[in-house]
Amino acid sequence: MTGRRGMFNNFAGRAIVPVAITMTGFVIVCSIILYNLIKKDLVNDTIYHEASLADTIIKATRYAMIKSDRETIDQIVVNIGQQEGVEFVRIFTCGGVIMISSDPAEQEVALGAGNAGCIGCHSGPEPENHLGPLEKARQFTNADGEKVIAITAPIYNEPACFNGACHYHSPSQKFLGILDIGLSQRTLENTLGTLRLQMIAFCLMILVLSVGGVSALLRVNVLSPIRSLMSYVGDVSRGQLDRTPPRGVEEVEYLSKAFLEMARDRSRCEEELEKYRPKDANMTS
Amino acid sequence: MTTVKPQNISQEANGATADRDRLRRETQERIRFLRRQLRMGMLGMVIFTALSAIAMLNARLLPPLSEKTRQFLGPSPPPTLISIALVVYVFSALTLILARMNREFGTYRGWSHLGYLTSFYVFYYYAGDLGESFWAVFVAGLTILGLENYRIWTSCSEALRDEEEILASLGD
Repeated sequence: MTGRRGMFNNFAGRAIVPVAITMTGFVIVCSIILYNLIKKDLVNDTIYHEASLADTIIKATRYAMIKSDRETIDQIVVNIGQQEGVEFVRIFTCGGVIMISSDPAEQEVALGAGNAGCIGCHSGPEPENHLGPLEKARQFTNADGEKVIAITAPIYNEPACFNGACHYHSPSQKFLGILDIGLSQRTLENTLGTLRLQMIAFCLMILVLSVGGVSALLRVNVLSPIRSLMSYVGDVSRGQLDRTPPRGVEEVEYLSKAFLEMARDRSRCEEELEKYRPKDANMTS
Repeated sequence: MTTVKPQNISQEANGATADRDRLRRETQERIRFLRRQLRMGMLGMVIFTALSAIAMLNARLLPPLSEKTRQFLGPSPPPTLISIALVVYVFSALTLILARMNREFGTYRGWSHLGYLTSFYVFYYYAGDLGESFWAVFVAGLTILGLENYRIWTSCSEALRDEEEILASLGD
């Protein structure tokens, strides 16, 4: 108890502890909130980028779809799927059967309505017709432990589709299929990891600067003058009345002068008492 | 010249003893109050840690609220707004505690902070963002309650030492 009391019972402890707690805590809270906001912005940017990529794929394959050129569509999807960072690209029917995929093993596989790619639109009793990019996105970890952001983009029916000579889509059919594309979050995770390290370094620097700054200021402006005052008071009380008082801080100068005057008064009184003491001694003898 | 009767002397002595007893009782009462304040600080910290553990488990284990409950309660505020409110709250709470440090002595004010911090956990949970924002609320709580505990500890331990000296001089 005495040790703890001693640690916090001096100027340095009393001034540094509240400043360190306040500064560090507030900076850490703000850093965590800022990190979360930046993370959300980066994830949303990735989703918008992915939605744009999905639209590009749909537009790139549109002509081949109208011409019912399955081989060209297969080739485009496989080539995009081989790009670095693209985990999968697949096109499935509204019934949930994968027609084209960058992974040949997935072709003709039927997905249920509870599948992650379908649940966005099929969560309610009636399927949703329009979802924003953020609602169309989902995040998961694949079998290889890789974090993936995937997005589903509907392929809408259009006059060129149902009026084509070789096609048989009904004009009342809204969607012809769904494009599902998944991108790896590796780059995003690396960026966030670097950001985390930078923020930790920033918090540590703030802590060192605040604690170090307050300590240095206290040492120069308070602790050193008080130590010289203590040393001066000790010397004066031992009788060294000719010692130069400490200078620099107004309050310390005032205290040292007041103490010196008090010590001189006491010394004068003692000298006067000394003068009377022999008389008293003679009187008593 | 007035003469003091032995009866009066004994009455005065009895009065002095009664005063001394009253003073001792008051000092003991103040010591008990100060020790209670110190215990409250520690208790507040323990309760906050327990609440945070529950919030952490909820964020990881419990599923999000059902659609019916959400419809009944209405839409949640956006997590960004909750975060802005958290920053404003932390700033004002720390400023108030630092201002209170300049005063002589005050009672423990950590209970209201426990309420505010729990509300932040609840709001983040309702907004579906507790997993991401848990550490922000936890560090905010540690900072606010830590500073409040430091304030109470410094003021109470000084006052406690003075009261114990008074009690010792009264002949405990």
